[in-house]
Amino acid sequence: MFCEKSIELIRELQRISDGQLPAFNEDGIRQVLEEMKALYEQNQSDVNEAKGEGRSDLIPSIKLRHCCLLRNQRCVTAYLYDRLLRIRALRWEYGSVLPPNIRFHMCSEELQWFNQYKKSLANFMRSVGGEEGLDITQDMKPPKSLYIEVRCLKDHGEFEIDDGTIILLKKNSQHFLPRWKCEQLIRQGVLEHVMS
Amino acid sequence: MSAALSDEGSDQNDSQEDVMTPVELIAKLEEAWLNEKFSPDLLENKSEVVECVMEQLTHMEANLQRVRKGDMKASLHRMEIDRIRFVLSSYLRSRLQKIEKFFPHVLEKEESRADGDPSYLSPEEYAFAREYLANTETYLKAVALRHMPPNLQTVALVKAVPEPCLDSFVFLRVKERQDNVMVEPETDDQREYVVDLEEGSQHLMRYRTIAPLVSTGAVHLI
Amino acid sequence: MDSQSYLPVPPGVGMEENFLSLDDILLSHERLPSRTECLFPRLGFLEKSTDSQDIQEGTKMELPLWLAKGLYERKRRVVSIELPKVYREGWRTVFNADPTVVDLHKMGPYYYGLGSQMLHFDSPENPEIAQALLQTFIGRFRRTMDSSQNVYNEDTSALVDRLDCLERVLFKMGQRGLNSFQGWEKGRASHLTASTLVLNYRKRKMTDLQA
Repeated sequence: MFCEKSIELIRELQRISDGQLPAFNEDGIRQVLEEMKALYEQNQSDVNEAKGEGRSDLIPSIKLRHCCLLRNQRCVTAYLYDRLLRIRALRWEYGSVLPPNIRFHMCSEELQWFNQYKKSLANFMRSVGGEEGLDITQDMKPPKSLYIEVRCLKDHGEFEIDDGTIILLKKNSQHFLPRWKCEQLIRQGVLEHVMS
Repeated sequence: MSAALSDEGSDQNDSQEDVMTPVELIAKLEEAWLNEKFSPDLLENKSEVVECVMEQLTHMEANLQRVRKGDMKASLHRMEIDRIRFVLSSYLRSRLQKIEKFFPHVLEKEESRADGDPSYLSPEEYAFAREYLANTETYLKAVALRHMPPNLQTVALVKAVPEPCLDSFVFLRVKERQDNVMVEPETDDQREYVVDLEEGSQHLMRYRTIAPLVSTGAVHLI
Repeated sequence: MDSQSYLPVPPGVGMEENFLSLDDILLSHERLPSRTECLFPRLGFLEKSTDSQDIQEGTKMELPLWLAKGLYERKRRVVSIELPKVYREGWRTVFNADPTVVDLHKMGPYYYGLGSQMLHFDSPENPEIAQALLQTFIGRFRRTMDSSQNVYNEDTSALVDRLDCLERVLFKMGQRGLNSFQGWEKGRASHLTASTLVLNYRKRKMTDLQA
């Protein structure tokens, strides 16, 4: 049957349902586009024949191919759109700089989309008001205390706190830090929130 | 949530025509936040509340700089700032999330709005939504659509991206008594009927039924 | 919760399909027993059982739902679609007797989804099918809800095994609610944690390295 390649694209994403981004399947997309080209050309010639030679018996087959064309278009669009939703999630979970192994899974247009999304979001957050705007990718959970106990899970180097004090985040060291300064590092798995 | 506001922010509203105390302002923010969090649809924007709260936060930060370090009062105020900032961020986040989820519909609604009707998007949100649409269309076109047969090179995003589901059920608390609210039948053998919503009572209803009441502030989503 | 940032397009409600929903695309790939009602010239290669250039009228084929829907027309019938067994009267009686004993995953896994989609084809049995779907759902819902609200920190696979896709989603939602509530009761609601997405990426990187 037609459209087997395009359902494969969808299955590929469905298998990783937690939102991770698999490698961009350029080859899969290309194969679907080739199938579409062939279907379209066959339909063009059948349409001409149906019109020119009165072969109305060709119409059911034309219709069937057309359904397949629409199906392929839907699958490819849904594949790409779902990838955008995953790429969007990366901005919120990782921050604006992505690790190379993830960038490696994106095609160049996806990187462009990500950069533009980053820019739109930054513009929005700046325009909220105040001197520096408001970083709404922080404060994901309601605050309970100003300071929290954190353990360093890997060497991260120097880190500046509010009042200008600089501390060294060394693996296995433990610190008492302002909560809102640590949030992103905890999300990225650099620090661990220690509950008493 | 208002202790720090009321003693430090008393000189805030002198120049404003629409006098709102900091306590009222924060109550407004919380109401907008909860409504937005629980409503399936994007609500009207509350730019003025957001602006005032941002000013308030800046003002409180500035005050904090003047307080001696290690002062017990300082950490209380810091905590207050953190909590308000959380509510404000969470509010703007839920709006942005819905704008991204429904962008073609949100834009269509905004652009077909009659002059004088309240706008759903703040100017910043509108700019964001426009960019999101353009960015997404460009991407789909560049990667695949332009390589497709001529009659298949566009996808109407307004048809492809799902609309908000107004039939979802929401919990609500009544602030102002409402008489004769029309409720649509749930099954074929039921007929439509009317209910009265007593002040202070709580209900579970379809959002569609009470959407106008959320917008006037007569009911709060909880 | 704000914490999950990947928000996939949800499947449509009732008879609707969402164009961009991966679930709906997979659902519409389910195959239906069908019969061609006319000749399909030059497509014989799609039908393995024949060497003919064309698909003959009266050929029995399994068509995916999306194609069946696309080809289906009330006036000019080019294919006729048969009702899959689980929606026929025999099975409807079984479901009616006790909906909780059937393994809807094995019979589905899109029992409700596909059933609702079948209503697009004007079968005289449509009202009975719709009724059966609704009654089956109602009959099973209580158990699904109870188990999802009461099983905490235990292996749930035995409970989930026999659920249809829609029921699984509901079960997961219930579990998420239960877990957040328990977390809140233990005072862990303000605990900041690493992003699960980040952690899963790291896991994958490790397995990649080991492979």
